[in-house]
Formats: sequence, C-alpha cells, structure tokens
Amino acid sequence: MIFEPLLDFFRGKAITIPPMDGPLRPNTALDEAALVRRAVAPDNLCFDGGQILYSSGSEVLALTGDAPITIASYESPVATLAVSPSGVLAVALDDGRLMIGDRTLPAPGGLTSLTALAFGDADTLFLCQGSARHRSSDWVVDLMERNATGSVWRLDLRSGDALCLAKDLAFPYGLLVESGGSLVVAESWRHRLLRLPQAGGAATPILSKLPGYPARLAPAGDGGAWLTLFAPRNRLIEFVLEEESYRADMMREVPRDCWIAPSLSSGASFLEPLQCGGVKTMGIHKPWSPSRSYGLVVRLDAAMRPVTSFHSRTNGRRHGVTSVVEAGGRVLVSSKGGGAILDIAGALS
Amino acid sequence: MTETTPPLPMAPLVDMQKITKSYRGVPAVREVDFDLRKGEIHALLGENGAGKSTLTKVMAGVVATSSGRMLYRGREVSYASPFEALRDGIAMVFQETSLVPSMTVAQNLYLGDEKFLNRLRGVYIAAQQFLQSLNFSVDPTALVATLGAAKRQMVEIARAVHHKAEVIIFDEPTASLTPEEKRHFFTLMRRLKARGVSIVFISHALEEALTHADRITILRDGERVASGEAKEFDRETVIRAMVGRTLSNELYRTRRSAGELRRAGAKVLSVQDISMSNVVRNNSFSIYEGQITGVFGLIGSGRTETFKIVSGIYKRDFRGGGEIELDGRPVRYNVPGPAVKDRIVYVTEDRKLEGFFETLSVAENLYSGLLAAGLERLPYVSLREMQQLAAQWHDTLNIRAINDNARVVELSGGNQQKVVIGKGLIQKPRIVIFDEPTRGVDVGAIAEIHHLINNLADEGLAVVVVSSYLPEILNLSDRILVCRQGRIVEELSPEDATEEKIMYAAVH
Repeated sequence: MIFEPLLDFFRGKAITIPPMDGPLRPNTALDEAALVRRAVAPDNLCFDGGQILYSSGSEVLALTGDAPITIASYESPVATLAVSPSGVLAVALDDGRLMIGDRTLPAPGGLTSLTALAFGDADTLFLCQGSARHRSSDWVVDLMERNATGSVWRLDLRSGDALCLAKDLAFPYGLLVESGGSLVVAESWRHRLLRLPQAGGAATPILSKLPGYPARLAPAGDGGAWLTLFAPRNRLIEFVLEEESYRADMMREVPRDCWIAPSLSSGASFLEPLQCGGVKTMGIHKPWSPSRSYGLVVRLDAAMRPVTSFHSRTNGRRHGVTSVVEAGGRVLVSSKGGGAILDIAGALS
Repeated sequence: MTETTPPLPMAPLVDMQKITKSYRGVPAVREVDFDLRKGEIHALLGENGAGKSTLTKVMAGVVATSSGRMLYRGREVSYASPFEALRDGIAMVFQETSLVPSMTVAQNLYLGDEKFLNRLRGVYIAAQQFLQSLNFSVDPTALVATLGAAKRQMVEIARAVHHKAEVIIFDEPTASLTPEEKRHFFTLMRRLKARGVSIVFISHALEEALTHADRITILRDGERVASGEAKEFDRETVIRAMVGRTLSNELYRTRRSAGELRRAGAKVLSVQDISMSNVVRNNSFSIYEGQITGVFGLIGSGRTETFKIVSGIYKRDFRGGGEIELDGRPVRYNVPGPAVKDRIVYVTEDRKLEGFFETLSVAENLYSGLLAAGLERLPYVSLREMQQLAAQWHDTLNIRAINDNARVVELSGGNQQKVVIGKGLIQKPRIVIFDEPTRGVDVGAIAEIHHLINNLADEGLAVVVVSSYLPEILNLSDRILVCRQGRIVEELSPEDATEEKIMYAAVH
C-alpha cells in the first residue's frame, strides 16, 4: 500500500464518493413530511424552553400560532443562533457581531464567520468559525478556494476569556455539546464529524466519508443526535475541486450562482451547470441523477453511527437542509433551499 | 360412448433391485429399489448424503454396486465404466461438470466420438447448429475454461443429448442456470421425453420436481422412503419425507417485519466505483457490521466478480478501478492472502474447484484454512492441533462424514459446503462473503447453513450472502442489494421487498 500514492501519479487519483446506502438509503421522507411553515430561507432552529425559534434573513422568529412572531431584527443577516439553559438567546450575525441577550460582545480572536453556537452551561458558549477569510454567507467561495481556516472556540461569558479548542478546520459548521465533557464538530469540507475535548486537546474523527457536506447538529431525544447535510457531493464537483486553474478561472469569470459547486437549491435557471445534473426522460426528472442540491437529515445513535435518514432527492424541492430541532414530540427541519420548515416526527414513527 | 380401459403399467426400462453400495463398509445406499419407465421424467429427491448421486452413479457405471442387481431393457447389466453405460444408452450429466477445460466447447461435445480425420471447421459448424437447436447460446469455439458455471452446465447437457442416450441422468442441472435458461432446459427436457427418452432428474428445487416430473422417488439416509406419481406429492409431504420433519417455516418465510431486521452496525467496508473491465462497472455499496446483506443478481450481473475483487481473488482495473475502504482505510488486494489477514473471507460458489482440496481429509482442509490466515499456534504443522480443530468444527457445523479421516470428495454436497464454510470461519473473519451458500445443498443442510449464517450476524460479523435464489435472499437478508450489468442498481428493505420487485430491478 505504500506505493499506492506513487502509482496514483501514473494512473490518476481515484475520485470516489461513498454511496448513499444502508441507513442512508434514499427515500422521499422530506418531500412527504408535514409542512409546518413556509418561510424565506429558514436557517437555524432552536428551542428556548417554550417555543421554537428560527432565523430567516436578518430576523429571529418564533414559530407559534398561525403567524410567526418576530423576536429580534438586525441590520445584517443572522448566521447562527443558540439558547442558553436559562433561556438567553445568543445570535451571531453575518458581519461578525455576536449578541448575547441584549449585549453585543466583541467576537473573540477577531472571529468574523460564525457558523454555529452551543451553550455548555449558562456561562460557557462554544463557537464555530467556518472560515478566517470569508463571511459565513460566502461559504461557497471558501469551499472553492479549498480553505481550511476554520476554528472552534470556548468563550467564558463572565470573564470574556476565549480559548481556541481547534484550528485549521475545513469549515466547521455544526456543534453538539456532549455530556461527557466533549464536543462533536461537523467539519463540512472534509465531510466528517470530529470529537473534541471541551477543555482543548486533539480532535478524533468519529464519522468520516459522508456523502454530503455536513451542517448543523442537534441533540436527539434518546441520547443520539440529528445531523443535517446541506448539499450532496458529486463527482463533477469533486473533480473541479482537484483542478486548480480551472477553478480559479471559473471563480473569476462565471457568476457565483452558476459555479460548478454545491448549492442549497437548484434547477431555477437553465444557466446552471448541468442544469442540476438532472436526467429527464419523458419529462420526468430522475431522482437518482447527480445534483448540486439535495435534502438530507441523518439520525445518529449514541455512538454517532447513522441509524436512519430522511431525504429529498434530486427531483424533490426540500433541499438545503441546515438545521434540526427536536422538542415537544416534534422533530422540525429547516429546508433553507426549499423555503420550508417541516416536521418529520411522523416519518420517524 | 366407448369405454376405455386404463393402460397397463409399462415394463420398466431400468429396474434397480435391492441396490446396496458401501464405501469402506459404510453403506451409502441400502437395498434401494428404483425403476425408470420409457419416456418418463422421474425425479429423485433427498437430502445431501441421502444416496441420490450414488444410486445414479451405479446406474451410469461410475461406481460398481456392492450388492443387488440392475436390469436394463429386461437384461441384467453391470457397467464397469461410464463409457460402457453410454454405449448402451445411459448418460449422466454430472452435478460438478466433467468437461476438459483446455478444449473448446465443440471438441468437448465430440470427445470420444471423433472420426479418423477431423476437420475442425466442420466440427465447429456442426456444434454451432446442434447448440442452436437446443437454444443454448454458447460459442462452440470458446475454451471451456473460459466459460462460467452456467455455460459449462449447458455444454454438459448438450453432450448428453448429443450422444442420443435413451436414459439421461441430470444431477442438479438447473443449479447454475438463470430463469431464462431454466425455461429452455425444461422445454428441452419435455422434447426429449416426447422423443421417448427417459430422464432421471435430481434437484434440490422442489418446485421444479413437482412441476416437471411424472414420478417422484425420495431417499433418506440411503433408503427409499417414498415413491409414486408426482401428483400425489406436494411440497410439504416431500419435505417431510426427505428430512422427517417440516421445515417450511424455516426455509420459506419470505416477509419479515421491521422488528425482526437487524440494525446496521458500523460501516466496515465501503466500495466506491470499482470497475473491472466491462464485468464490474462503477459499482458502489457499503457493508455494515451485525447484519446480513443479501446480494441478488442474475448470472452475468457481476455480483460474484464484485465480491471476488473485494476479497482479492480478482484485481480491479489499474486505472479508474475505484476504491475499497476497510474501516475507512483504503485497501487494494492483488491476491487473497492480505484480505484473509484483514479478516475478509470469501466462501466460494464453486466449492469443488475453489473451495477445498478434495483428496485431503476434512481435518486437513480445515487446518489449511488456519494456515492460510497465519493463525496456527505452532510454527510447524501440528497433527494434534489439526485433530482438535477438526473435532471442534465437526460439532459446530454438524459435518456428517463416514469417519474423521474421510476425504472431502467422499462427502455429500451439503457436508462439503459445511467444510468450505468451516475453513473460512476458522480464519476468524470480520466480513464473511457467502457466494451461493446453499447451491447443490439439500433442504436439511440449507436450514443448518441458514441458521449458521444468522448466528454469525447475531455475533456482530458483517455477513454478505450472494444468491440467485430469491426465497433465500428474502429469508436471510436484513437489507437487499440488487446487481445488474456490473453494478448495484437497487437497495430494498426486506419489509417491502417481494420476489417481483427484486426480479424487476435485476432485469430492467
């Protein structure tokens, strides 16, 4: 095996993507899931003990009654949010600002691209910085530049002290606080989950070679976790990621929406690369055809192994799932690309 | 209105009376009476080791009888060789083919029938016409060594038909044929019957015997336990006569609820886009611990080749051959040794050719498995270790042999299969790939092998069962993969899988 990398030089490196099978076997559960609310790009969901909150554009809204109630509104889009055990709302904005309740804190270490927040306790906040070079909304640029400048931080809210727990991560996008003094981080560009000690230390991969780009994590009712994957991997994109000069030209000359890159939704324009990669026969969009966008939520067990999954396939509309929250017997999913909040508890049973 | 009298029973063409055949003093068949009428299809059923093959081998002159006599057309005969029997009009199509691998199909067809001067082109043309008349799509110029099991079986059948035998004995003729080829075969069998050829038909697929035979004889432990018109039997009575108990619930339970299925454990094997020539094409799938992954595909779908690549028997393409990851670690096996060391075991579909050393004893074969994995305790061959191992696995697998030192070739198909499985399991695998684990195995042994496979999955091993027998796939699998044209095209859960759905995915 030691000669394999050398042989790759002659035969070309294999570009392969793990198949979606076993617990990740495709289905149409997200497309069939109950619609809770139509919303404009609903993103991060969380539960404040009484109601479900979600971010949409530059607002944080509560999902109650017939119409959503605006909880807070900002000048900049909301990047991520979290609620402390005592009910304090923490919001990170796309411009790099961090709000804890009604306080605005300077982001530690000059963080500008917060992608996930999670409270350890009332005074400890964990933060994911996706990239040191780009805002969180510019994630596609960060991917195409193949950066690995993300980091995970622990912030003491009383003293303001910040400790970098891990750095040089390839866009950490999800964060889960575990009871045993560790964190699980979704490292998006490397398609894996890592476990980190909350006190700092070496990271250990716990779930690798995912067939998509992992996004946010959320605790599940019975000790496991929910994982969202906001876009699928496909071979064309993997190939483009290997081609430096092509990528540089594409980024310079082609509008961003038309890059050969993952997307939260696709099929809106005929100018899109591969027109969503879709294979259409007799007017039917084949669900198995390659796509830039997809909807995928994975249920993980306590050992962080996939147990089951919920899909919106290539021909579905509920793509670009970025967040899940389980509360009050409901499992709500935000399809940012599909503009919908869904309840998948029915499919689970 | 005229009254017709029922026809008198015909005098049997072959009449075997009180046939006994013993190996080293142990009888394989005991005082068995068997008769075959002209122009009938007579199914001979029984568990492996029941004595079916021995009885028919006596008929075809392969082995000599220990006592009893055989009448053919009313005169007593005793054949010293299959050639003598064939000259008299009795041909046998063997379960494990008896062709010459280094010769072409046409040469095999005309073997023993050559003229003084032979024009090869003429032989090929005649062979081509003959094979086409049988509806067998086999290239007469192809070397037999290059043919798959199904095509070799076709050539074997064609050879028997070609010799214009009056009695043809088919020993498990359909085990390696596709459904389409089976249909051709049964049409051929009916055509032969119409021509007045008498057929002895040994099969473990009970439906085939019940559908196509005129009469059925059932053997158990070397004795005849039932014989009569086929319409007097149904599956239940046949199984009860064969094994002395009913197994329907164990063997033919095809729909399982979600609660009965094992949940996937850790992903141990990830196969991504592997390719080998045009046989395996961009094939991707994963295998998980603690469950049975059933792989269904028709012959030629690339299912066996895929798993032979995984276990290092075949090499994938050098360029664009894809990736195989074991526990997240990329592996590329060029020979089976490293795969065995990594605890991947492949239990072959062709046990006679690839599964065991036929002239070695059961103990020696089992020990060879241990040596291959480098798991022997001592740095030299230890007879004591070998005997201990054999005793342990004899009991675990319930291998029924005449004695401990019996050569594997002397065992029945089911027991041979158990030896092959034992040889693999001795290597302490994490991933066990069973390719057609119950081909040519009787219903009793099928139940035992299924039980063993289930136990392995319950112990947490990753188990793969490759099979072209749908009830087996439906009964065993916790997830079902369907292979077509060199790749996995569908994954089904046994909860909602049906034979029709699986077959549709395998064909369309």
